[in-house]
Amino acid sequence: MIRALGDWLDSRTGYRHLLYEALYEPIPGGASWHYVWGSTLTFVFAVQVITGLFLWTAYSPSTLTAWESVYYIQHEMSFGWLVRGIHHFAAQAMMILLALHFMQVVIWGAYRAPREINFWLGLILMQIVLGLALTGYLLPWDQKGYYATQVATNIASVTPVVGPALQQLAQGGTSYGHQTLTRFFALHAGVLPALLVAFLGLHVYVFRRHGITVFKKYRDQPIAPFWPDQVLKDAVACLVVFATILFFVRWKGAELAGPADPSEAFSSPRPEWYFLFLFRFLKYEWVEHNLGLAGGAIYVPGAIMAVIALMPIVGRWKLGHGFNVAFTLALFGGAGYLTWVALDEDRRDPELQIAMAEAHADGQRAIELAHEFGIPATGVLSLLKEDPKTQGPRLFARHCKACHTYNGHDGTHRPVTTATAADLGQFGSREWVQKVLVDYHEVFAPLMNGKEQQPDGTVAIIGERFLAGDMATWSKDNRAALTDPANAESLKALVEFVVQQSGRKDLEPIDESLAKAGLDVFQLGTLKTGTLSSGCTDCHTMHVAGQESPLSENPGSGVPTLTGYAGKEWLLRFIANPGHDDFYGANNKMPAFAETMTERERQLLVDWMTGDYYQPAESKH
Amino acid sequence: MKTVPLDPAPALPPPRRSFLYQLAAGVVSGVVALGPLAAGLAFFADPLLRRRPTMKGASVDGYLPVAKIAELPADGTPLRFVLFADKVDAWNVFRQQPIGTVYLRQIAGQVIAFSDVCPHLGCKVDYKSGAKSFFCPCHASTFDLDGQQTNPIPPRGMDTLQVREESGVVWVKYENFQRGIKEKVAI
Repeated sequence: MIRALGDWLDSRTGYRHLLYEALYEPIPGGASWHYVWGSTLTFVFAVQVITGLFLWTAYSPSTLTAWESVYYIQHEMSFGWLVRGIHHFAAQAMMILLALHFMQVVIWGAYRAPREINFWLGLILMQIVLGLALTGYLLPWDQKGYYATQVATNIASVTPVVGPALQQLAQGGTSYGHQTLTRFFALHAGVLPALLVAFLGLHVYVFRRHGITVFKKYRDQPIAPFWPDQVLKDAVACLVVFATILFFVRWKGAELAGPADPSEAFSSPRPEWYFLFLFRFLKYEWVEHNLGLAGGAIYVPGAIMAVIALMPIVGRWKLGHGFNVAFTLALFGGAGYLTWVALDEDRRDPELQIAMAEAHADGQRAIELAHEFGIPATGVLSLLKEDPKTQGPRLFARHCKACHTYNGHDGTHRPVTTATAADLGQFGSREWVQKVLVDYHEVFAPLMNGKEQQPDGTVAIIGERFLAGDMATWSKDNRAALTDPANAESLKALVEFVVQQSGRKDLEPIDESLAKAGLDVFQLGTLKTGTLSSGCTDCHTMHVAGQESPLSENPGSGVPTLTGYAGKEWLLRFIANPGHDDFYGANNKMPAFAETMTERERQLLVDWMTGDYYQPAESKH
Repeated sequence: MKTVPLDPAPALPPPRRSFLYQLAAGVVSGVVALGPLAAGLAFFADPLLRRRPTMKGASVDGYLPVAKIAELPADGTPLRFVLFADKVDAWNVFRQQPIGTVYLRQIAGQVIAFSDVCPHLGCKVDYKSGAKSFFCPCHASTFDLDGQQTNPIPPRGMDTLQVREESGVVWVKYENFQRGIKEKVAI
């Protein structure tokens, strides 16, 4: 019955002949592990087609949906991490297998007659694969892909004569946008795979026509068919490749960096590792000096491709094959060396490491926010732009680091050369309040670095008015009493009261009874043993939260009010105008940021400094 | 039957471990070929594997505020109201969007809510005030004021929605139901 059906089908289609041709290809000397590389490449391409088609069902190419849909694939959809991970690492496997396949062909001299055409077909396939890698890298529309691909399209733009037109055709305009994504996607998922299939068909057809290239010593050996021995070896090799890909998916996973943001400088743009050698090559000054950008990025690689393309012809001469092998090894050696140099330099570059960590953190943050709140129609960038945790450090680095530090850095973990004002990393916390009380001169010591030219030509140290001021004196006078172990509880109570008055959520929970005891210390200066030289209310204004009448009022004194000290309202008012009578008055030297920052920016900065932003449950402390 | 002549088989040594090799080659090839496909299919099956809400902002038990009771005519004439909620669409959340419409009727102080999605094939059912009847413009399903079908085109009457009143406001539990079948099954 099955046989009759088979006969019927065969008479209509001739499938048996096809199957026979496919499976009983003669292999002189029998199956060998040497012959598996071409099959693994074809296999990985098939994996890319399969996973790519499935990714297509969920990907949405536009600047407002590309990152968003990839985020959804990677972090929300079932097995999305797996399918995208396979696609991501299989692309890299393809690069490695391509290099191995190419090296084998050259070393074995498989490019020689009658296989020249097939060698050239292979070179075309290589270009298509590189094109797929390049176009695919942009599609997630993250910072990494966005800036790395900018470099590639700008290289295209320095092509003589047609460059600018080429760039605009690729981008779909003069800058990146929706059309860049739709064009890259059409190339990546449509044009290039179709070309690859066509050329791969020709490649395999011509390969079968000439048969496998066999080492001399096997040429007189008996012939064995492709099926089953070689099929088994090929399949095992594919299995190993696939297992390696899966290992990387589990171990590393496909990263999604922060969403592409043309307004945000990205300080660590790097191409994928397989283009790093070209990237490093272009960084040599002598390349730029002697060859120019077009020379380094287009003519030199073009010349190398030309030499490779001429290999079948050069290989006809006696020494030609030797040259080809030497050239190939030198090429891979050189590329390997440049890749290593690039990686090594990056490892030793602390600024780049910070930038990479920042990009990674932005990506993680965008994912957290998207997961918690969902993404508005304006895209994920608007979530990041409104996020204090993301914007606060940047605003600090832009507006505050000229004088202040934040835990020793500029808010974004970059170093600050000389601080001329207090470190604000712990501002308003229990540690901060205690330190201001006990070690005022230490907290504000950086003020001594701030100098100002006086009208009479002398230089005044700004910090002197604070470090020799009333509060500094008070702190020195009362240091012994406050740090007396017998008064530890009193100090804790005083700090707790001040912290309670800030109303800050990030400093909760408040020990209410402790804070209540702290009120007495604050007002009267009574400690467990002894008293303070004066209570806080002797100089500072204080309206206790929830009480009708003020504890003390002392406006216009140049002594900062402690009403809601270090809380959101206090900080917002302070940053807007520190020279206000409620704050430093005439003593003030800090700029009024109401003039240089928008209200929204000040709000974001303060929300960040007071820890008022979304934290996912597991990282809450 | 005419068959295509095969090429003569090359002279091969007699197969030794041939069967085991064939089996192994078949199995390993199968695994390699089906692995990526299986991953892809599992990914594609996401809508079946994970149920996700289509809106946010309803009460814990799924009710949304629709209208004030005072807005409903006392004579039982149905009125169509728009429901607003945060619409969830894959990765997007759109704040306060119209997510659907319902008919509300007030009869003797009691409020009834109908989904205006036709149980036939999901078009939007109109109310014809002249004929005092619901009418679907797609395939002419008709229903009386109580939502009972008055011709055999729809498989069932209009779908009622659960209603509750809180201090003069009507809340409706907004749901969708499978179309084209006799039973009212929520989806």
